[in-house]
Amino acid sequence: MSSVPLSAYLALGLILFCIGLYGALTKRNIIIVLISIELMLNAANINLVAFSKFGVMPSITGQIFALFVMAVAAAEVAVGVAILIALYRNRNTVNIDEVNTLKH
Amino acid sequence: MENAWIIPLFPLLSFLFLIFFGKRLKEASAYIGILLSLASFVYSLLVLFERFTSPTHKAESVWLTIGDVQLTAGFEVNQLNALMLVIVSLVSFLVHTYSKGYMHGDERFHVYYAYLGLFTFAMLGLVLSPNLLQTYIFWELVGLGSFLLIGFYFYKEEAKKAAKKAFIMTRIGDVGLLIGMILLFWQVGSFEYDEIFAAVEAGAVSSTMITLTAILIFIGAVGKSGQFPLHTWLPDAMEGPTPVSALIHAATMVAAGVYLVASLFPLFTASETALMTVAIIGAFTAIFAASIGLVQKDIKRVLAYSTVSQLGYMMLALGSAGYVAGVFHLMTHAFFKALLFLAAGSVIHAVHTQDIEKMGGLWKKLRVTGPLFLIGTLAISGVPLFSGFFSKDEILIAAWAHGNTVLFWLAVIAAFFTAFYMFRLFFMVFSGESRSDMKHVKESPSVMTVPMMVLAILAVVAGYVNTPWFGTFLGDWLTEGNPALGHGHIEGPSWIMIVATVVSLLGIFLAWLIYSKRSLSRDWLGASTLYTILYNKYYIDELYELTVLKVTKGLSLILRFIETFIVEGIVKGVSGAVSGLGHLGSRFQSGQIQRYGAVAFVGLAILIVVFAVTGGYLK
Amino acid sequence: MTLSGEFFAFISLALVAVVGGVLLLNLTKVVHMVLALVFTFVSIAGIFILLSAEFLAAVQILIYSGAITIIMLFGIMLTRHDDTKEPKTGLLRKLLLFLGILGFAFAFYIGIYNLDFGEVSTTLHENNTEQIGIALYSKYIIPFELTSVLLLAALVGAIVLSKNDQEKEAKKE
Repeated sequence: MSSVPLSAYLALGLILFCIGLYGALTKRNIIIVLISIELMLNAANINLVAFSKFGVMPSITGQIFALFVMAVAAAEVAVGVAILIALYRNRNTVNIDEVNTLKH
Repeated sequence: MENAWIIPLFPLLSFLFLIFFGKRLKEASAYIGILLSLASFVYSLLVLFERFTSPTHKAESVWLTIGDVQLTAGFEVNQLNALMLVIVSLVSFLVHTYSKGYMHGDERFHVYYAYLGLFTFAMLGLVLSPNLLQTYIFWELVGLGSFLLIGFYFYKEEAKKAAKKAFIMTRIGDVGLLIGMILLFWQVGSFEYDEIFAAVEAGAVSSTMITLTAILIFIGAVGKSGQFPLHTWLPDAMEGPTPVSALIHAATMVAAGVYLVASLFPLFTASETALMTVAIIGAFTAIFAASIGLVQKDIKRVLAYSTVSQLGYMMLALGSAGYVAGVFHLMTHAFFKALLFLAAGSVIHAVHTQDIEKMGGLWKKLRVTGPLFLIGTLAISGVPLFSGFFSKDEILIAAWAHGNTVLFWLAVIAAFFTAFYMFRLFFMVFSGESRSDMKHVKESPSVMTVPMMVLAILAVVAGYVNTPWFGTFLGDWLTEGNPALGHGHIEGPSWIMIVATVVSLLGIFLAWLIYSKRSLSRDWLGASTLYTILYNKYYIDELYELTVLKVTKGLSLILRFIETFIVEGIVKGVSGAVSGLGHLGSRFQSGQIQRYGAVAFVGLAILIVVFAVTGGYLK
Repeated sequence: MTLSGEFFAFISLALVAVVGGVLLLNLTKVVHMVLALVFTFVSIAGIFILLSAEFLAAVQILIYSGAITIIMLFGIMLTRHDDTKEPKTGLLRKLLLFLGILGFAFAFYIGIYNLDFGEVSTTLHENNTEQIGIALYSKYIIPFELTSVLLLAALVGAIVLSKNDQEKEAKKE
């Protein structure tokens, strides 16, 4: 018997997700934005794993899904950092404010 | 005669050709203009001769169909039209020829000829029009041609102002004509002259309406013919080239007002009030303009006021039911006034000034122009045996026979004034000693003098087509088959002719005493208040300045205030609100993905909160 | 909820994770932020162990605390960072976002508060790695292979992205 309820894990995930979201949307440094996105993915992983144990039909699938998320996150970070470096070469900045070519 | 519609097309062709190719032709463009105007003159002459023997020809086709109403376009050759065709095309042809010498060396020579072509086209089209609508169209075109030609020297400030003034003043009259035309159409349901006359004769139109429309149309004529109170543009129009003054502001366009009244004569005769108005305005203008002409110092201005005065005569004749007298005077006036203007142009061409105070003693130097000018002066003064004598006599008789004693005596005094100021002009320019350095005065080339000679011959003999002595051929022909126009000849007491002769000779004699023999001092006149008033043209321009202009300016100031602060305020408010909204929107489009994400997320959060609080649809 | 070892472990791990997150938001130096995040990642690995996912916990430490953090550090080192120069985000936007996130958290908290499906005894903790391996290579074989394709694409993409400009610069020079 577990003494920690499902809602506690979910609440932790929610808090981490909110922190990641806030960081992703307010921080000016692209690296911090990327890290914040990782944090959000991790929060999602906590939820997945928690449901794999305390869900309606507990099974290993939640953990497998979390594994896939990690693989995608790793790929995302690799591409993200590559873009960041390319951007830095072109613009000489990592400030997200100055990345506004979408406007034109 | 079936092909009379070709006549206006010759000058139109000239206009189009010169507008497009004139620049390459330079001075050679004169030949095109002369040739084509000669063609239309010859054709007009043929039409006139044919008209002597055959009846009125009228051809029309449907132009527009609006509901039940059909607007037609076409042409008509009746006696008046045929006569006008010849006068207009002849004067136009002579002016075309004369201008070749006068405008020699001008940079915009071809443009001048193109404008002349346009004007001649419009004028010929005007006299051929069988209905009011077409008349109105050509009426405006004529105004445009006049505007372009007055403003031909547009680099001169006065010419620009004069052109604007002419356009606006005649426009005031045109509005009257337009309203009258619309009212007539409303009442009769047609623009056709024939149908209008038929309706008027049948009593289909109330007498008040006839008077109203007749007076409104007369206002149009007042504007075009420079009658009081819209006369001020005509003297100013003398800023244009002198041949233009001869063509437009002496012989043809200003006569268009008289022509309009003449061609709508049955409408005017149906209303005694309208006739009376025409007669009074005409008589008043005749004496009013003549009195101003007494003291003017610019040779062209004297002639301009004389034109205004003579047009007043014609109006007086028409207003006194003297249809024949009016048209007759229109014809003779066209010849001798064109002659006078061309001669004046020749003088100006020789001495390069328009101030008669600086001229004098030119008789010996201008051996051709001088006598020609004298013939014109004698004709306009009404000296017996010249054309002006017969036509003026007709007018006086008409005025007397119609019972307007006061107007009759006004006309007699105006005749005296005319003789006086015309001979004052003649003596000032040609007799005595030169009053300034006039060493290089040369006679004009024959291309200028020959047209003057033609006009001089006509100015002498044109009167004999309608005289009490040799038969009233013109009058009989004009009124033939149309009793509404009155009798071909109005019998009047023979003393009228004697009075007219005596009065004109008296005027000549007085002018001779003062300006040639100098037995009477000029100073007593110059010092008086009357002189100042006359010299300043009764301060009419200043009066307009004070009343009409001030009021208009005040009104426009108020309107401008409303425009800037109220209308524009609203407009700016609306546009400002919209563009502010747009700016607000565009601030979100900063191109920063983070901001987009923030906005999207906040929107999502609001939706989720709303959903969580209300429970969504399912609850 | 009883006071047990598991409970204490959860509380302490959760506390470290949240503190790491908050530090991420409030520290000024980028390297410090990444380090704070390492704490969070490690404590999340601990949470995974509490949730009987030992293999995931190991992978979490390997991938997140190891690989991703190192990549981030490389990214930081390859670029210039003058945090003091950076303009701060507008206060209004921060406030709005904070309110939005608060509302979002509140709405979800209503959803997960007292969420309990009842506990079913599971065998997840027994031979966890073996279970995952069996599932991956049988039921989830196609997604697994697709993931490898994705990783390959990311690898190629990352190389192309960072190499392309070097060639251009070489040409310029």
